[in-house]
Amino acid sequence: MGGNRRTRRKPTQTQGKHANSTQKGPWSSDSATLDSYKSDKYKFSIKAFSVLTSLSHLTCCVVCCQCLDASRPWLCYWILHSLELLEEAVPAAVVSDVCQFLARCQSPTGGFAGGPGQHAHLAPTYAAVNALCILGTEEAYNVINREKLLDFLYSVKQPDGSFVMHVGGEVDVRSAYCAASVASLTNIITPTLFEGTHNWILSCQNWEGGLGGMPGLEAHGGYTFCGTAALVILGKEHMLDLKALLRWVTSRQMRFEGGFQGRCNKLVDGCYSFWQAGLLPLLHRALFKDGDVTLSLSSWMFEQQALQEYILLCCQNPAGGLLDKPGKSRDFYHTCYCLSGLSVAQHFGNQDLHHELVLGKEENRLAPTHPVYNICPEKVAQAIQHFHQLPIPAQKGATACAEDQS
Amino acid sequence: MAESEEEVDVLVQRVVKDITNAFKRNPNIDEIGLIPCPEARYNRSPIVLVENKLGVESWCVKFLLPYVHNKLLLYRQRKQWLDREVLVDITCTLLLLNPDFTTAWNVRKELLQCGVLNPEKDLYLGKLALTKYPKSPETWIHRRWVLQMLQKECSPAGSGQKEQQGQVEPQGEAERSWHTERLQRVLQEEMRVCADAAGRYPSNYNAWSHRIWVLQHMAKGNLKILHDELSSTRLWVSMHVSDHSGFHYRQFLLKSLLGELGQSWERLQSGALNLSPLPLADALQVHRSNGDGTAGAADDHASAVPQLFHEEMELCTDLIESYPGHETLWCHRRHVFYLWHHWRKNSQGTGPQSPVLTHTAALLSEASDPHNEGRSSQAMDVDCVPDSSKHGGYTQNTKRLKRGPVPPCPGLPSEHLFVSRILSSCRSPEQGRFANAYRKWLDSVIGQ
Repeated sequence: MGGNRRTRRKPTQTQGKHANSTQKGPWSSDSATLDSYKSDKYKFSIKAFSVLTSLSHLTCCVVCCQCLDASRPWLCYWILHSLELLEEAVPAAVVSDVCQFLARCQSPTGGFAGGPGQHAHLAPTYAAVNALCILGTEEAYNVINREKLLDFLYSVKQPDGSFVMHVGGEVDVRSAYCAASVASLTNIITPTLFEGTHNWILSCQNWEGGLGGMPGLEAHGGYTFCGTAALVILGKEHMLDLKALLRWVTSRQMRFEGGFQGRCNKLVDGCYSFWQAGLLPLLHRALFKDGDVTLSLSSWMFEQQALQEYILLCCQNPAGGLLDKPGKSRDFYHTCYCLSGLSVAQHFGNQDLHHELVLGKEENRLAPTHPVYNICPEKVAQAIQHFHQLPIPAQKGATACAEDQS
Repeated sequence: MAESEEEVDVLVQRVVKDITNAFKRNPNIDEIGLIPCPEARYNRSPIVLVENKLGVESWCVKFLLPYVHNKLLLYRQRKQWLDREVLVDITCTLLLLNPDFTTAWNVRKELLQCGVLNPEKDLYLGKLALTKYPKSPETWIHRRWVLQMLQKECSPAGSGQKEQQGQVEPQGEAERSWHTERLQRVLQEEMRVCADAAGRYPSNYNAWSHRIWVLQHMAKGNLKILHDELSSTRLWVSMHVSDHSGFHYRQFLLKSLLGELGQSWERLQSGALNLSPLPLADALQVHRSNGDGTAGAADDHASAVPQLFHEEMELCTDLIESYPGHETLWCHRRHVFYLWHHWRKNSQGTGPQSPVLTHTAALLSEASDPHNEGRSSQAMDVDCVPDSSKHGGYTQNTKRLKRGPVPPCPGLPSEHLFVSRILSSCRSPEQGRFANAYRKWLDSVIGQ
């Protein structure tokens, strides 16, 4: 699959393969098999993602299998985010189609559902809002009914500060992240909306340093990212035991594979390239704000090169798309999160201080991603700018809706 | 081969009926599975029942699933009525093939609410689904809903309602104990279901999280169950030394026990608690129900904690030595030691205030004495360190709260000794690395 990537910007100061990295992680000592790769340039290139296939999936919103029937906004987000990381433009007609489809997924009582006619749920709500912000047109922004969205968030808010995933559903820390993400992007945060939420999230941090799905549960990569990112949005990340969290997440990078595992003693998985590695930018910023002067000004506190090698060498399907580990089949979820992790590993810093480490060809360079929302930073800025011109909707009561369960 | 819509209809109805009949014929079915069978052979049912195993030949799934799925959705959209029996059978078929189909579970919630479906039957279906899909999130989530419903039914408020409906007081008492027994049975069954699912998939987060949830919601303050669970999982974790979730469960049990024992102990000590207090009478009652029957609850509580930690560290030591290079074991050691270390620090902060606690205070000062390790060998009680712990505790004997001399308590020096011992004798590079990392952790986190 030939790539149609044009070099749109002047060459950045990429450091090429096996840069003179001062990082002396365990990786650099396992160089026996690596040497043979050094000469094979092509092995480090990111095979062009099958752009046409993904676009067609987007327009028809083809359901791959029954279990994704309640995840169609997710498909939109995973695909759109992958395309924006690859800096592939989406045709205007497709943009409009996706907007209209997502509008049909919006529930009359607020929030977005997994598909037209289904009940609103925080996860597809998160995905839909992210997808619309990636699209970034007026039409996209106008799809979101902000007043109803606020109602929906109140309807799933619990007295202890947590959120259920949907009315009548279960609590877990993902919900706080989904709620915080959409509320902050669309500017609907009222004084009471997140009352108690940060304390509830904090109670999910356990002695290991990571966060579990609920207080008392085992620390887990996905939940840890959601809890931490939510706290960052709420401005309370410093209340975590940051050092313990840092210890935990850095221990999750696998010394042989270079990728990350989700929990202690489990196998590597490409998607944790984002859920776990994505914590390091958040921690870096939090520790920096805390006044830590020993922080690096050029790299994150994980072995960036090794992660890039794992993704490029082990997580690509020859026909395009990315995956968990060799032997697994490709899917849009893994494509999205492997690419997101690759982006995190390539880009350090922000607009003011930016340092790149791109393994392999210049073509491998992806667009940077926002470490909290996981959409491109310009899209975040644009959305926030747009929605902050609008007033915060009037606060209705914080009571749960007695929604018809059938 | 069925092709026309009518033929599919007939086939599917027959299959659904076959599944229902299989359950009627054998109420002890304990596992389900898919039999790889790409083509229908002979003119026979794809439902196979052998001993207690129910199999579905794979060729029929592509007809069966879309059909029943569609039927259920039509019912949900109120386009086609289905009566209750049919709903039970259809949802059963659907969920055995795809237990993450939330709508089907929700239909069953309605059937449960109007009393058509029995909760234990529904839990049984979930249990079967988990034999094939041990992680299925929707199954676990639905289970918690059913358990909550059961709890409400069996609570004093629930039976109170029934009393209002015309039952006499004395029957209320019997009913209460029936409810308690029922909940007990359900709880024990949940532990079994979780253990089974944990064995079918490594580090099964959902299964272990559910197990924790059940204890948090259905066994509050129940010391006996916490101890029983420590006993019954001891063998399991010894056979799954890389299962971080299993060890995390033991960490949860220890922490809960600490919490419970600590609460009652602090209550005895002083009146003030910033935790939600367990009334003293209840604390002692719960303790007595553990079957110990000895007097001096405070003493038992005080000595129980070091005993617990001693046993857990012994188990950990034994496994680390037997199975070099398993990160989970070292992680477990950190957690147990961390808990112990902080418990000691907190306990030392509160001085003895009554004669009962002098023993405790002495216990603590002994425990914090780094040279204490040898002292227990002078103990009057010859078997203060039970034999089974020397052999790694592969029995399931419950070690109850024991009065008697203090077992050797873990401390920083003894941990450093342990690390040195491992490093000097180990041949596995991973083991060496974990030992060194543990030492660093002791210095940087504990030693501070």
